[in-house]
Amino acid sequence: MSGSPSGGGSGPGGPPDEGDLSARLRRLETQLEGKRPKAAPAGPARAGTPGGSAQLGQAMRLSTEFIAGVIAGGILGYLFDHLLGTKPWGMMVLLMLGFVTGIYNVMRVSGFSGQKAEKDRRDGS
Amino acid sequence: MAVSVDPIHQFELQPLVSLGHIGNQQIAFTQSALYMFAAVGVIALLTIAATSSRSVVPGRLQALAETLYEFIADTVHQATGADGKRFMPLVFSLFMFVLILNLFGMIPYAFAVTSHLIITFGLALIVILTVVIYGVAKHGSHFLGVFVPSGVPKPLLLIMVPIEIVSFLSRPVSLSVRLFANVLAGHIALKIFAFFVVQLLVAGAWGVLSPLPLALTVALTALEFLVAALQAYVFATLTAVYLADALHPGH
Repeated sequence: MSGSPSGGGSGPGGPPDEGDLSARLRRLETQLEGKRPKAAPAGPARAGTPGGSAQLGQAMRLSTEFIAGVIAGGILGYLFDHLLGTKPWGMMVLLMLGFVTGIYNVMRVSGFSGQKAEKDRRDGS
Repeated sequence: MAVSVDPIHQFELQPLVSLGHIGNQQIAFTQSALYMFAAVGVIALLTIAATSSRSVVPGRLQALAETLYEFIADTVHQATGADGKRFMPLVFSLFMFVLILNLFGMIPYAFAVTSHLIITFGLALIVILTVVIYGVAKHGSHFLGVFVPSGVPKPLLLIMVPIEIVSFLSRPVSLSVRLFANVLAGHIALKIFAFFVVQLLVAGAWGVLSPLPLALTVALTALEFLVAALQAYVFATLTAVYLADALHPGH
């Protein structure tokens, strides 16, 4: 059941390491590039779906990023007070900080402040 | 099967096999664990059995497996770049696990494992611990560059660094709460609207209104399928984005 002999490609050697794998993938890519006349009609149909789902995903993120910031601040404040015995202060300060973080997170996800940071990250990577 | 009015009842854990006690706490093999094993089985079937023939022209199952693989590979590549390929197995496993469990939850009378916060938090902890351990192992103290945003004036760093630290710690919280809350809220809403149909039907003349919640239930079911797939996708995307921080800490 191992298919046609030309469709093999599973090397008889040991487990392929990453460099080997990348080289093989690149070779495959260049080979495929020559045999790809029908890429144009399939392109837009596939490009439409991820774009929509990515935006929906971003909308999903917005709702929880803010709450997560406040919750994280609250947990940190509770632990801080619990460990150091500074009863109300750690909770007060860190809850405020969590609130700020939540707003900052939302701004970053929605691209309000993060437009630049996001691009920086892309350039850095 | 008795119809229970309580919309929370469906999330109760039922021990199937008791494995003993620790203190007063029963340690048991619950239906939750059974569903997780089943999910792993389905994933293995889909990815190993479906691709075992390795035909050049894929059959239906092989095409499905290849589509899912390429989808996640694209996501990982976009978020982390070329050297993020080593995290592909982790992201793909998490995506498939969450996706299959979410879809299991959509089967009538089935149990939605991802509606339990501890499950999603455990998955989020795997992601964050991978980020921290890999980041520290690879970059050492340079990993702390995650907390220093670029292009910010020095005095402002006094405020920004604590914010970034809390922001980093809020990641596992947001990752787990998002998945858990969406699945939990969706199942509760479905149950409540479906029960409205029954209540209206037994309320005499009000029965003429019963098609309204029925239509809403059908629409909500479609929405829940979208949410099930979308939450798995968001989980995988964010995992890849956070792993990008471990690979390139200074932004």
